[in-house]
Amino acid sequence: MMFMDYVWLVPLIPVLCFVIVGFLGNKMGPKAAEGGFLVIIGTAASFVLSLLVTLEYVGFIGDGNLYPNAVENHIDWFKIGIYQLTFGYYIDILSCLMMLFASFISTMIFTYSLGYMHDQGPRQRRYFAEVALFLTGMLGLAVSSNLLEMFIFWEIMGLCSYLLIGFWSFNHPEGDDKADNAASAAKKAFLVTRLGDVCLMGGLFVLFFAMGGHLEYNVVFNADNLAAAYENNSEMLTLASLLIFGGVIGKSAQFPLLDWLPDAMAGPTTVSALIHAATMVKAGVYLVARCFPLFALDANVMLFVAVIGGFTAFFAASMAMNNMNIKKVLAYSTLSQLGYMFLSLGAGGYMMACSIAVTGGQIVIEEPELFAVGCLGYAAGCLHMVNHAFFKALLFLCSGSVIHANGTEDMRLMGGLHKKMPKTSITMLIGTMSIAGFPFFAGFFSKDLVLDVVFEVFEESCGTEEMIFIALWILGIVTAFMTAFYMFRMWFMTFMGEYRGHHCHGESPKSMTVPLMILSIFAFGAGFALLLGWDGVFTFMGSEHSEGQILQWIVGGWDRPNVGVHWLEELFTNWKTYVTIVLVFVAVAIAYLMYVKKSINPGKFSKDGQSVLYRTISNRYYFPELYNQFSWKLGYDVARGVEFIDRQIIDGSVNGLSNAVVGSGDLMSKAQDGNLHTYASVVLGGVVVLFVAALALFYYGGVF
Amino acid sequence: MNQLIPIEYFLTFGAILFVIGAYGVMAKPNTLIVLMCTELMLNAANINFIAFSAFMGDAYGQVMVIMTISVAAAEVAVGIAILLNAYKVRKSTNADDLTSMRW
Repeated sequence: MMFMDYVWLVPLIPVLCFVIVGFLGNKMGPKAAEGGFLVIIGTAASFVLSLLVTLEYVGFIGDGNLYPNAVENHIDWFKIGIYQLTFGYYIDILSCLMMLFASFISTMIFTYSLGYMHDQGPRQRRYFAEVALFLTGMLGLAVSSNLLEMFIFWEIMGLCSYLLIGFWSFNHPEGDDKADNAASAAKKAFLVTRLGDVCLMGGLFVLFFAMGGHLEYNVVFNADNLAAAYENNSEMLTLASLLIFGGVIGKSAQFPLLDWLPDAMAGPTTVSALIHAATMVKAGVYLVARCFPLFALDANVMLFVAVIGGFTAFFAASMAMNNMNIKKVLAYSTLSQLGYMFLSLGAGGYMMACSIAVTGGQIVIEEPELFAVGCLGYAAGCLHMVNHAFFKALLFLCSGSVIHANGTEDMRLMGGLHKKMPKTSITMLIGTMSIAGFPFFAGFFSKDLVLDVVFEVFEESCGTEEMIFIALWILGIVTAFMTAFYMFRMWFMTFMGEYRGHHCHGESPKSMTVPLMILSIFAFGAGFALLLGWDGVFTFMGSEHSEGQILQWIVGGWDRPNVGVHWLEELFTNWKTYVTIVLVFVAVAIAYLMYVKKSINPGKFSKDGQSVLYRTISNRYYFPELYNQFSWKLGYDVARGVEFIDRQIIDGSVNGLSNAVVGSGDLMSKAQDGNLHTYASVVLGGVVVLFVAALALFYYGGVF
Repeated sequence: MNQLIPIEYFLTFGAILFVIGAYGVMAKPNTLIVLMCTELMLNAANINFIAFSAFMGDAYGQVMVIMTISVAAAEVAVGIAILLNAYKVRKSTNADDLTSMRW
């Protein structure tokens, strides 16, 4: 334990940066006032620390051994009744991975922001303070040791996304319309993700009770506890899983809560890069991966995850096909790639759920081969998350560079930029090839691994599930084809052909291009990390029961010494891989013929933008309208009903009570007529009544 | 104890006096008469006290009567003063005219 003890500093450094820049920034010297340098240094420090922690965890430094279990440490936080809630850190390889890529990519994005935001003047201080807090949310989420703590950081991210998407809601460089647009996009992002967060909170409540008042990872995901809770009440666990996944759907913008993410493009491009690559939407993937032991108890939950993921992958990709906004194409590609991750996790989890059985208070792996496929799905999803982080950060920053130079996001006003901004062009081509899945690029390895897993699950399952998984595999293949097409369409429209815009500043400054180059190395090479052999690296708590404690289900658990090489070998001796490669090349060729050679007129397919399909896709399947209808019609009716109850029934009962009191008081006050004789008569009458009553009691009641 | 007049006579007398007083308080319009009638009722009670005191051979009843008389004297002084002032303002001592202290 060297650096491991200081892992709490990883989220603490950015929050300190936030406090210093956000609250004390105006007291700093004129040079440091914007806070950019401080935040970059802080983020880099976080990155270095998380790298050291990771290296220690996997055994490169320190005593040279891989930690067999996750490292957990906590302090008592507060107590409700008999329930003790804690605050602490929990380090396993998944947390390490999240910390590493979040802090590394954030360092790159913040460095790039120095150039991108330099014309924002003192408003940069707000920007840098908020991104620092955003990163705190992500890093805190990665190291949290229980689900409540995780939820707090989850909400911090929700808040920061709101603030940052609405960054230009006061003075957008392109005018008031855009400012209003940014404000409503921020609101939409906040509200839609909140819808999911309510589900997540409900899920945590259910889980809290299902697990007997515990939310700590090493209690909740302990195989024995899970098995006990499963045998006690499996429906509660299923409900908790589904509700937690509801939160994931909101945060990671999966169908049907996907509409906020394209709107979130109203924020600065660097923020989009942050949300799409390093933070926010990755939190959803992380949560599913973290809750994998819980989810994997129920095959239907995992099937649901896979179907949502697979469908979103296709659905979002279709909307990217004809979009003219360079950022929105990237936004839809993010949705689509997130869909791949959930598809992979869901398919793997489904297989895992099928291969285990809960008997006698224990989780028993009945079919190790199927279990290994499940682990592979888990690994593929996480790997795709990391790879996607690199190439999507790169792509967004490149698009930011293009937008910075051209002052527009409309691809129809670009073209031929390759000569004017060669560095951006080349780096973006690398990112594009990576996401499209060119062989040996990062995206290729993870995407094909995902599709491979789905196909294997199809082969192993039967009945309805078999049909579902073959449909998901076909959707995945088609999505791969579409991804290659729309990404290259974007690149060709931006960098090839004639320049169609009005003015281009030329290549961006060094502070922007250097991060691009660094990221492009990773966007190309991250896939080779596969070769390290993730043997024993992708772990999570599960079964196997050594001394009743938590042990790992290890991905490399099947008897191959070097899993990485095995995977690679499998990848290239597999006909399915070649199918995808061929499809990718065909897609790129079509895009080339359409947008560079112009030998195929794209208008022919869409009847010049008049066909029903084209218009449906351009209007995002009328999803925004549906939202509006839903909220205006249904929301208003519900609100009216609630208003009726509030005003008429709740207010009415309170008002009625007071009216009754006042009215009866009025009535009674008439008795006070001021006449001496009336008073005297009443007093006397009262005395007589009392006297008679006393006599009656005396004679008949036997009181005295 | 040697009784010249039986106690019932005293009690009957007190009761008659009390009823006359009560009737006057409730029925007479003139406030001065109402005041006098209250005195009648008080004195009806005093007669009862005295009668029982003599009947029981106990001086406590007489003590009570002396106290009541002194209180009644003070009460009459206050009552007459209020009445005089009311008359100055309203030019009337009719109880039906003095009804402004109400809701």
